Amino acid sequence: MTATMDRAPASKKMRYQQCIGLAIEHEMLRDERVFAMGQDLTTLGGQFGLSRGLIDKFGHNRVRDTGVVETFMVGAACGAAIGGAVPVVDITFSDFMFIAGDEVFNKLAKWRFMHGGQPNELPVTVIAGTGILGGSGAEHNSSLEAHVLHNPGLKLVLPSSPADVLGLLRSSIRDPDPVIFMPNKGLFFTRGLVPTDPEFIIPLGQAALLRDGTAATIITYSGSVPKVIEASEQLAAEGIEVEVIDLRTLVPLDWETVSQSVSKTRRAMIVHEACRTGGVGAELAARIQEEMFGSLHAPVMRICGADTHIPQNARLEQYCVPSVQDISAGVRSLLRH
Amino acid sequence: MVSQEQARPDVDQSIVQTMLYRLAVARGIEDLFEKWTKDGTFTGWWHPGRGQEGAAVGAMAALKADDQIMWYHRGANWPIARGMNVESVIADLLGRVNGSTHGKGGGAPHFVDLDLGLIGSGGTLGTAHVLGGGLALAKQVLGKPGIVVAGFGDGTAARGTFHETLMQAVPWKLPLLYFCENNGWAVATAFGATSPTATVAERAAAYGIPGVRVDGQDAVLVYRAVKQAREYIEAGNGPMIVEATTYRVGGHFYGDVGAYRPAGEFDDYRDPLDVLKRYVSEPAADAIEAAARAELASAAEKALAGAFPERDVIFKNLYAE
Repeated sequence: MTATMDRAPASKKMRYQQCIGLAIEHEMLRDERVFAMGQDLTTLGGQFGLSRGLIDKFGHNRVRDTGVVETFMVGAACGAAIGGAVPVVDITFSDFMFIAGDEVFNKLAKWRFMHGGQPNELPVTVIAGTGILGGSGAEHNSSLEAHVLHNPGLKLVLPSSPADVLGLLRSSIRDPDPVIFMPNKGLFFTRGLVPTDPEFIIPLGQAALLRDGTAATIITYSGSVPKVIEASEQLAAEGIEVEVIDLRTLVPLDWETVSQSVSKTRRAMIVHEACRTGGVGAELAARIQEEMFGSLHAPVMRICGADTHIPQNARLEQYCVPSVQDISAGVRSLLRH
Repeated sequence: MVSQEQARPDVDQSIVQTMLYRLAVARGIEDLFEKWTKDGTFTGWWHPGRGQEGAAVGAMAALKADDQIMWYHRGANWPIARGMNVESVIADLLGRVNGSTHGKGGGAPHFVDLDLGLIGSGGTLGTAHVLGGGLALAKQVLGKPGIVVAGFGDGTAARGTFHETLMQAVPWKLPLLYFCENNGWAVATAFGATSPTATVAERAAAYGIPGVRVDGQDAVLVYRAVKQAREYIEAGNGPMIVEATTYRVGGHFYGDVGAYRPAGEFDDYRDPLDVLKRYVSEPAADAIEAAARAELASAAEKALAGAFPERDVIFKNLYAE
């Protein structure tokens, strides 16, 4: 199922970051079992101000400040969900999943498997920022989605626009499975139209077809989406029309949209900011080639982050992730086959 | 330390008899799995709980229906002490579909009975602290009654989860009881060789909460200590630590002969079964033990009759169904 970028009749411009707090607010109003915890939630609305104002509306029982206790935060979210609550836990940086590694990868991912599906539902949302926040260094800027993808039992959401943040976070909170929700810190201050319909929601597992084209399919998500759009506009000026798919969720994966598009264009490129080796692009390229080898006119191409860490020096950061030029040049090369 | 004679008058005889019954079943499971490990019926890693049953039955007897438990991994003492179906526990250990995890268990299993508040257990030590804290948090957020018991051993008292959970659970006054079975050994390393404190209970002072020590060989004393702790926690005072001193009679796992253990370790050892039997009349104790043996024999037979799971079970319960 493909969702095109519908513009609902009533919408307003919002910042990407604001939509995180708005989604939590909507879901807390809708379901009394939902509560939020993280550092500085009541004072700053979280370290990035993602949830500002929640404390005034819901009070200290449902909006909880924690200390520097990531292990507790994620483990307690798991326990609270077993106990019937619906926790939304903000660990700020996805890099901190490693601090709570046992809780993310052994408890959230495996608890129901190990216990024969008891409980059946484990509705935990972990908000874990991905992407580059200028100058915050190698331990705050990693793109770790492949680590999550490799662990069955977790769902994985990477929104690229304000409307997607709102719609997908609402779905994540309602989802019966643990969701690692990764907003991109590099997109926090971007703005976009967001439907004002209080029921607006985007189901998990529906990619967005952002641009129609026939020359090639670019499959991307998160912080690379705006760059891919810019590159595709440059290419259109040269007469090259590429199709652009924003996956939006990696688990569940909208394979149908990917395969339909690649069947049509016969050329596929995957673009992401995370390291190339062992990344999401490697997984997608393998699957496209396994299942669609006969349809392809060219090898599947990957334009990915460099196999390194994001340096503390902000001047070096952009050398580590694909640029608009890298993407355009990649498409031209893909078309030479 | 309160003597058994002093403890005797104020504990209801029916509670004592229930504890004795469950202790006898748990002991029977210890005997059974030693036998089954030797003859190959059981092929997993048996972590014996022999010698520690008194702590488990005492603690569990002091709880109420709304309470939830993250159990301690040694033996099958905790689920049996809470009253879990015996066939289900044995079938879990044997990896059969009639086990509580429908065949996902085997060896060191993850017994679960949500209706009894037996939430399960993590394979990585320290799970009980954070998940137990989360269960207690859910009770507070949702306004549900009861307390949560996080059970762990003295080795696991070293985990960061012990600390992080109290850092949050104490200011939030979560209804959480840390129940430590201190058997003196973290696998093959003595408690005293790595602990900065002489006891686990005294670490409570660092968090500004009460910590008490109790003789874990005497289930009645454990019952009294946990009952008091439960009342303190249920009244809204926040977490507390109870440390039951006990003995790991067997190895870390069955087959560990314990060559590292010092001579004289068991000079003062008292078997918790014998200790508890002294609280009831001899005929009553005999009848209880006979009934426990009969239930165990029947449960073992049913458990062994259960099928092994089919291949499709490996893809079950990854996501909600």
